[in-house]
Amino acid sequence: MTAARKAGRLALLGLVAVSLATAPAAGQDGAAVYGKYCSQCHGDNGDGQGVAAPYLKPWPRDFTAGKYKIRSTPTGGLPTDADLHMVIREGLPYTAMPAFPNLSDAELDAVVQVIQGFSPDFEDPEAQIPPIAIPDPPQWTEERAERGLQVYGETGCGRCHGDVGRGDGMSAPTLTDDWGQPIRVADLTMPWTFRGGGTRRDIFRTMSTGFNGTPMPGFHGALPEEDIWAIVDYIASLSGNTVDEPYQNLVRSVPRAGGLELEKADELFAEAPKAMFRVVGQVVQPGRHFQPSIYAIGLQAVHNRRDIAFRVSWHDMRAETTGVSGPDLEAPSWGDVLTALGVGRGPGGGSGDEGDGGDIWGGAAEESSDPWGDAVADDGGSGDDVWGDAVADDAGGGDDVWGDAVADEGSDDIWGQAETSAPEGPTGPRAEFADAVALQFPLQNPSGVRLPYFLLGDSENGVQLWFADLAAGQPRLYSANGSDKVVPGDAEPPEMIASYDQGEWSVVFKSPRRVPGSGLEFADDAFVPLALTVWDGFMRDRGNRRGLTPWYYVHVEPIDRPSPVGPMVKAGVGVLAIELLLIGLVRFAARRKRNAAESA
Amino acid sequence: MKLVVVLPMLAVLLGLRFVKPRMIVWLAAWWAAIFVTLRFGFATPIPVSVVKLYMGIVTLALTAYILADRERMRQVREPLTAFLVEQRYQPALMAVAVLIPVLAAVQVWAGMTAEAQPPSFARTVHPAPPDSITVHGTDYPLGTQDNPYRSLEGTNPAEFEERLQDGRRVYYENCFYCHGDLMAGQGLYASGLNPIPTNFQDPGTIAMLREAFLFWRISKGAPGLPEEGGPWQSAMPAWEKFLSDEEMWNVILFLYDFTDSRPRAVEAHS
Repeated sequence: MTAARKAGRLALLGLVAVSLATAPAAGQDGAAVYGKYCSQCHGDNGDGQGVAAPYLKPWPRDFTAGKYKIRSTPTGGLPTDADLHMVIREGLPYTAMPAFPNLSDAELDAVVQVIQGFSPDFEDPEAQIPPIAIPDPPQWTEERAERGLQVYGETGCGRCHGDVGRGDGMSAPTLTDDWGQPIRVADLTMPWTFRGGGTRRDIFRTMSTGFNGTPMPGFHGALPEEDIWAIVDYIASLSGNTVDEPYQNLVRSVPRAGGLELEKADELFAEAPKAMFRVVGQVVQPGRHFQPSIYAIGLQAVHNRRDIAFRVSWHDMRAETTGVSGPDLEAPSWGDVLTALGVGRGPGGGSGDEGDGGDIWGGAAEESSDPWGDAVADDGGSGDDVWGDAVADDAGGGDDVWGDAVADEGSDDIWGQAETSAPEGPTGPRAEFADAVALQFPLQNPSGVRLPYFLLGDSENGVQLWFADLAAGQPRLYSANGSDKVVPGDAEPPEMIASYDQGEWSVVFKSPRRVPGSGLEFADDAFVPLALTVWDGFMRDRGNRRGLTPWYYVHVEPIDRPSPVGPMVKAGVGVLAIELLLIGLVRFAARRKRNAAESA
Repeated sequence: MKLVVVLPMLAVLLGLRFVKPRMIVWLAAWWAAIFVTLRFGFATPIPVSVVKLYMGIVTLALTAYILADRERMRQVREPLTAFLVEQRYQPALMAVAVLIPVLAAVQVWAGMTAEAQPPSFARTVHPAPPDSITVHGTDYPLGTQDNPYRSLEGTNPAEFEERLQDGRRVYYENCFYCHGDLMAGQGLYASGLNPIPTNFQDPGTIAMLREAFLFWRISKGAPGLPEEGGPWQSAMPAWEKFLSDEEMWNVILFLYDFTDSRPRAVEAHS
């Protein structure tokens, strides 16, 4: 780096350096570290308005507010130095905040000083609340987990996190943080996504201290410690005490005697192992989707001699069963997304109030003033929009519907009615875009290693989509030779059945193993490439605005598996015969030699 | 190299010089020490098939060493013959004679019941680039093309710094979801992608490539890869759809600056 460039860079960091007058020695280093690693998101002034901020969900922390989620101090307290060190060292899972294992302890100290310097709170001695002691976790027990379920219910955790912890509570779609930004409720079945960490110790800390600036309260003092541990053990039980990502790259289709009856899906897939695949945003082509709401998707498969059935399941905060869906719908263009993102607008602005197309969740250039990007914001005159009406009643026609809706208990009633009037499942209000899912397979079994391009194929290698329209409850078949060449398929689509229960969609497809109208066959012992796409109507996903996976495989386990006994016996006897021959020859030679010696 | 494994193995082989064991023990010790070193002694494991190949060569070499000398051959042959012939070894011989076929049968069983592995594709990570590419109507001869803004580093540091800042903006608006904040390939989506995003901190990536190569990979993305690069599976977008040529050259400047590395220079052309 030349001296001139160094000088230019330091000048850029000037703003940061200003706040470091108290610690000039550490400040220089801290400012450099902050400038290189932090300011792109958190902003030169620590206000969370860096260049990347508009693309991120959740938004980067606004350090000037002094409100921190991950702490060891009680609700409202500031994080300790150790808390900030931990967050920087380990990062926040499933957010854009990475781990920084590369920083030295000195650099870490220095950058923590810079961060604290952005908020005057850190200089206020009265704001320094001592941390809560986090005890060593007791051994996980079944009994405590069972009691935890009870405490979970009594404490009302399910109102946001859902009755079985899938992040689908009634309030979930309405929650915002102190900056007016919509925030997602944690899916308690996936501890590897927990911002504060997924170990039982981490969960105890999060439960005790809460997340400042969000609706997540701290229960230290409000619940006895043993009750908090009970809830912790219940939450741990939801993932089978799994803390790390359980993702796979293969699903095994297991043989099943008899017919594959879609109506008995639970029984049908009882023996089928569930592979979890990570879902990522479609960021490769126009319609880019930076933070898809679905983290992971589960896949199971069974087959008999004639048919194969797949069950796709994923957690969704709310079922959108109205509106349109399809892989061929037009997604917002890149330019529109950029305009809608309003690059340069700060997170402090509260996009929900501004109504200037700050549709960050939705990422669309539509007129929505709704921070979730849900279509409900266009409720202007549509009287039959359940959600629109509900919001209008709640908020008295005010613009700031989300805050009121959260505070107003009345919203629960609306949900209650919506649920009873829609016995099919707790579906959301009328949405513009419906939830949908699709399985992607090649048009024919690949002959070599070459597969179709994982994003809907290419001109030479096409793909087929088994698409589930969850508004109509109907399957559709598409074929595609690239994102811009998606056409309805000619053949009969596979059979499909779908259900939504307690925050989980479950969609079952069934097709003959020799797929009609295509060159694809799920032959015995074959590895068939497959990819998944999921659209969340709540997030206005449609077309190429979607969550997806790259190519994975399904292995069709042979129905008639050859017994290993025959080949085992053959191998054993063969080896034994060679051994005996060898021993015999050596002994024969040795005897001859001895005889020769004796006779001599 | 895992010194915890390699050093004890060296110690064993050195120790053999002082202990002077019997020839057959010496043989077995050498064979085993080399095997353990190859199999467990490397931080990045050597593939099992390659280890097998190496051990085949080792076996041949040791055999040649024995065969080359009549006395050594005798030292090996005599105990072996004794084991196969003499009455006092009879029980041990019978045990071995049974054990080996059983092991063979177990191996067959393991092979037939092993969990099936999906087909894998050994993609070429840095395939050869084409002679030239056209981006937004401009032809770039990749063999001779240099970053048009690289020279500003010496001639106009202020503008160079501006370009770095623009590259930084481009990176954090577009690239870090996959390649990560630290450019170590550990972005938010990394665990959901196959192949995983490139780690620019690895000296085997951008530090050994020319800027024109990066420009080709960035502008044309996965769809522009030759077959050996697996264009169907990489999630690298063709950034020419989203970024101007200038933005792509700027982000390349930023990649090298952030990772404190230098691009490989254009080789002299006659």
